[in-house]
Amino acid sequence: MRRGTALVFGALTCVALVFVALPLVALVVKTSPGALIRSLGDPAARNAALVSLKTSVIAHALILLVGTPAAYVVATRKFPGRAVAVAVMELPLVLPPAVAGIALLATFGRLGLLGHVLTVLNVDISFTQTAVVLAVAFVAFPFYVRQAVAAFESVDARFADAARTLGASPWRTFRRIALPLARPGLAAGSALAFARGLGEFGATIMFAGSFPGRTQTLPLAIYAQLDRNLDVAIAIGVVLIAISIVALIGVRLSTTWSSNSRSLVRSAT
Amino acid sequence: MTRLGCLMLICLCACSTGTPRLEVFAASSLTDVFEDLAPSTHFEFAGSDDLAAQIEHGATPDVYAAATTTYPDELHDEGLLDDPVAFATNELVVLVPRSNPAGISSLKDLARPGVRVVMGAPGVPAGDYARSALEELRAKDILDNVVSEEDDVKGVVAKVALGEADAGFAYRTDAAAASDDVTVITLPQRARPRIVYEIGVVTGTDDRDGATQFVDLVTGARGRAALQDVGFGVP
Repeated sequence: MRRGTALVFGALTCVALVFVALPLVALVVKTSPGALIRSLGDPAARNAALVSLKTSVIAHALILLVGTPAAYVVATRKFPGRAVAVAVMELPLVLPPAVAGIALLATFGRLGLLGHVLTVLNVDISFTQTAVVLAVAFVAFPFYVRQAVAAFESVDARFADAARTLGASPWRTFRRIALPLARPGLAAGSALAFARGLGEFGATIMFAGSFPGRTQTLPLAIYAQLDRNLDVAIAIGVVLIAISIVALIGVRLSTTWSSNSRSLVRSAT
Repeated sequence: MTRLGCLMLICLCACSTGTPRLEVFAASSLTDVFEDLAPSTHFEFAGSDDLAAQIEHGATPDVYAAATTTYPDELHDEGLLDDPVAFATNELVVLVPRSNPAGISSLKDLARPGVRVVMGAPGVPAGDYARSALEELRAKDILDNVVSEEDDVKGVVAKVALGEADAGFAYRTDAAAASDDVTVITLPQRARPRIVYEIGVVTGTDDRDGATQFVDLVTGARGRAALQDVGFGVP
């Protein structure tokens, strides 16, 4: 690069870094460790943490359970409508959260598409933790599936073919070949999806409402505490930043392992 | 490089075109009437408490209009708002979805187990009014039926209008705006909190004339008529 270009690009990179980092730093310096711990002892923060933890873990389990086989099928099979299937599964990724919220209401709400069925079955979803789980799963799902599809696609098909010619069942091939080789990518997607689910706001507040100890997750608690107790809001914000950083490190580590293990495989062949 | 330069120039132009419009922070319940009164003004409608918090943290709109006297008076004491004036009154009511899935016909029905009630969160005026009304009526059991504490009155109205909640505490004017989807249960006289709206020029405004004009418009004959049209009382 010519000197001038290099200078301008360097300057713009600095602007980008500062623009992203400064608000996060500002949030952290606005509180002291003592105040942070005190604020996190606040019942509003504690209740929200419990709600978030419970709903995120359940939603995440559902995502892994359904998303892994779905990603495997999409990645390894050619079938008509495959591109459409991928697009549909990735849609929540680009959907505004408010749209997700109103769409979930239109589906599972009392007057929604499945409302009558649910009423007959005596199942009430809105304003419950089930609603939170559905909202979190809906918005976080594509973050996992995208990575999972890519991970399964990058597994060399010859390994699976070899396993099958040696008489392994499809389940055994999946469990002993595809799953271990795709694991780093799956882990990365899993971390991303978990972080995204934990931060879910728009769909949750529209579909599940906000009630402390029941449906008020950490992001909703930030919003509710903004005018009541700013310290608590900031403390929750700092905790969510910390979790996001851990998730990101997880993604980095697993993708590094992934490229290492792949180069190992390559050097072995 | 020149292309990048052009791009930045375009960005700068796009950001600075147009004369600065008057910016008004107003309680959600004022949405329809304010937008009709002054269509070219830039409005930010939200819970009065959230707007007050934003002003306290450095936001400088030109005018602040709240669904209460509490926050305008507080801001005034902090030197952030010029003398606020009362310009409207409202009435707390119970909204019920038109489909009325829980068969609510009186306030008493709200205390039945399993009825899903929504109200504003503590600190949101509509929520605080609802709580004080229930205290006055000694109807704490209704509080046990609250399934969601909404961050502004719009959230309450939306959840009732959608039929997700069985009942919600909101203002008479919200009922008028959503009359296709909701019906109203009036609270007994003694439980009706005095709800006074105040408006004031934000002290840090850079368009004092425009701000004063807007306040005059709202408190003047046209403003009063528009307010009464949608169900407000005027002082």
